Amino acid sequence: MSITNKITVKRAEIAVAVILALCSIALMIKSAENRITWNAEENMGAGFLPFYLSLGMFICTILTIIKFVLKRSPQSKDDSPFIDAVAFKFIAVTIISLVVLVLAIGYLGIYFSLIFFLAFYLRYFSEKSISFITIFAITTPILTFLFFEWMLKIPLPQGVSEPLFYPVYDFMYGGFSFAVKMIFIILTVLLPTALVFLTSRFIK
Amino acid sequence: METVGFLLDGIFTSLQWFNLALLIFGCLIGLFVGAMPGLGSVNGVAILIPITFIIPPTAAIIFLAAVYYGAMYGGAISSVMLGIPGASTAVATVFDGRPLAVKGEAMTALTAAAVGSFVGGTVSVILFTLFAPPLAEVALRFNAPETFALMVMAFATFVGLGGDDVPKTIFSILIGLALSTIGLDLITGKPRLIFFNIPGFLHGINFLVLAIGIYGIGEMLWTLEETKGKVQMSKLSVNMKEVGRAFGALKKTIMAMNIGSFLGFFVGILPAAGATPASLMSYGITKQLSKNSKEFGDGVPAGVVAPECANNSASTGSMLPMLTLGIPGSPTTAILLGGMILWGLTPGPLLFTQEPEFVWGLIGSLYIANFFTLVLNIALIPAFLMVLRIPFAILAPVIFVLCVTGGYAPTQSLHDVWLMLLFGFAGYILRKLDYPVAPAVLSIVLGPLAEKALRQSLILSDGSMGIFFDVSEKPIAAVIMYIAIVLLIMPAFGPLYRRFFKKKQTA
Repeated sequence: MSITNKITVKRAEIAVAVILALCSIALMIKSAENRITWNAEENMGAGFLPFYLSLGMFICTILTIIKFVLKRSPQSKDDSPFIDAVAFKFIAVTIISLVVLVLAIGYLGIYFSLIFFLAFYLRYFSEKSISFITIFAITTPILTFLFFEWMLKIPLPQGVSEPLFYPVYDFMYGGFSFAVKMIFIILTVLLPTALVFLTSRFIK
Repeated sequence: METVGFLLDGIFTSLQWFNLALLIFGCLIGLFVGAMPGLGSVNGVAILIPITFIIPPTAAIIFLAAVYYGAMYGGAISSVMLGIPGASTAVATVFDGRPLAVKGEAMTALTAAAVGSFVGGTVSVILFTLFAPPLAEVALRFNAPETFALMVMAFATFVGLGGDDVPKTIFSILIGLALSTIGLDLITGKPRLIFFNIPGFLHGINFLVLAIGIYGIGEMLWTLEETKGKVQMSKLSVNMKEVGRAFGALKKTIMAMNIGSFLGFFVGILPAAGATPASLMSYGITKQLSKNSKEFGDGVPAGVVAPECANNSASTGSMLPMLTLGIPGSPTTAILLGGMILWGLTPGPLLFTQEPEFVWGLIGSLYIANFFTLVLNIALIPAFLMVLRIPFAILAPVIFVLCVTGGYAPTQSLHDVWLMLLFGFAGYILRKLDYPVAPAVLSIVLGPLAEKALRQSLILSDGSMGIFFDVSEKPIAAVIMYIAIVLLIMPAFGPLYRRFFKKKQTA
């Protein structure tokens, strides 16, 4: 019996309810670091709202657990797997690759991390050719850069790759005419496509 | 008469070239987002809101409203062609749209859907124009206690009318509110719930982090599981003869249009309902009232028109409480409302007097957007069919890229991106176990506003909760509060009611 069959909806329901109950308790304890009292004379303590909100959450999870024990909720009678094996592979690989992506963004910077993320993801899940994937994985970060840094002027994290972008910034904010910048943009978007196209010809 | 003048101003505002370009662009994105299975208006708006920070609020709301609107039209495309709803709002469109496509009349179904959406949209915008100014005038008299009571009622509608498991719904509301309390306390200035002393929590949790997490990452995970990365499409022949025949068939759907437009609008106003239940209800009622109700489900145009009319109408309806009362009528408008705060506006009735260009620009743009979306929708059907052939395995990473950049951009911190991933994963698991996620998004947006209103009311009343229940002192607040209490206890009577009826039937 594979692991995905062992995790039934029933087991997932009770496990999640217990985890949420524990989280609610943790929230209550955390809220109690501030004053949680409130009466007519004193103002509301900073911990009052979070404390009673998390108490409410705790009561809701207990009700869910009671419903489960009394078999009143549809999930409490459901012995089918929580997730089937094929879907589990999709979800697990997606989540792990996303976590790796965000970890990499902190170090490598977003643009280079995206290249690796897209290349891996498409290679793993789609049946597209290597040249398509290469073009796609390189063009998407370039477009992201142009959109965020050039159009919106929002800097995205660049990590250790930051020095590589200095010449690009010099060009962006340098005294070049609009036409030159436009030609540059079109070239940067088209160049990877052309290169990949040519190399794939040669390799064949 | 004053309204007509404002409305004309609004229409002119939305026809300025920059606004018009954004409107058409928004309609196109909306149609695309709606047509992609798994993505709906709420996902489109949540993912796109970070890029609206650099344009003026009026242009931003026109753009996002067009996305919202376009998605309502676009949802029908995949409901008909793939047999899976493009968005939850188009679930009911599958019932008759798919059988029509299987019969080879896909074009009829698509045209009926587009025209139905147009009629629903237009009727509801007219209703909106008539209702909004008087409602805003009434709402201008609202103070903190009334505002707080309204918010409690908004939460209570989820419990009373949401139809989901009650403890799970309340849990969802409360966790949204609890998340909104993270950060510095409004009055005392003390830091609250700073987990593990991570400084990122000091600025609180932006609603966008939760919204993009749940509706971006979580939704993608959900759709990946459903489709396993692949989709199947039915065949379509596009010719003008079919379009003409489709228009001919629409004569029989006038009743469906009426039901859809009016029912949709009023259901849309309710915070818990929104476009999905509106379209389901509209389909059900049209079927019951129709002379040939037996044919429903085998592919009749009225079965496509009714839900499509209702979902567009409801999406306009849900903007009515957003603009006049500052209470969103749907998850998408909850995100729009959060956006307004980020753009530096105060949602609520004051918008009508302080920001007339914003309010009327939005209303005017809805008229224009309706027209453009109808034209674009029918003209671009072949293009959307090509879009639907894009495998999900390619679309998903693009959406992830948008989510990660969108989650990072507003606050420029990776902390928020991590939280977004966490919320996306948690939202996906909870949604699989029937925890409704929309109340959490609504309550994280309304949380800070509700807290402010509550504390102001308590200062007014010297700390007595009585201020919300005293009919002689604050009649409006009290009435709203009592309605909220009725809504909250309503689910408890559901089983009793059913038991009573069963006994009667067996007796």
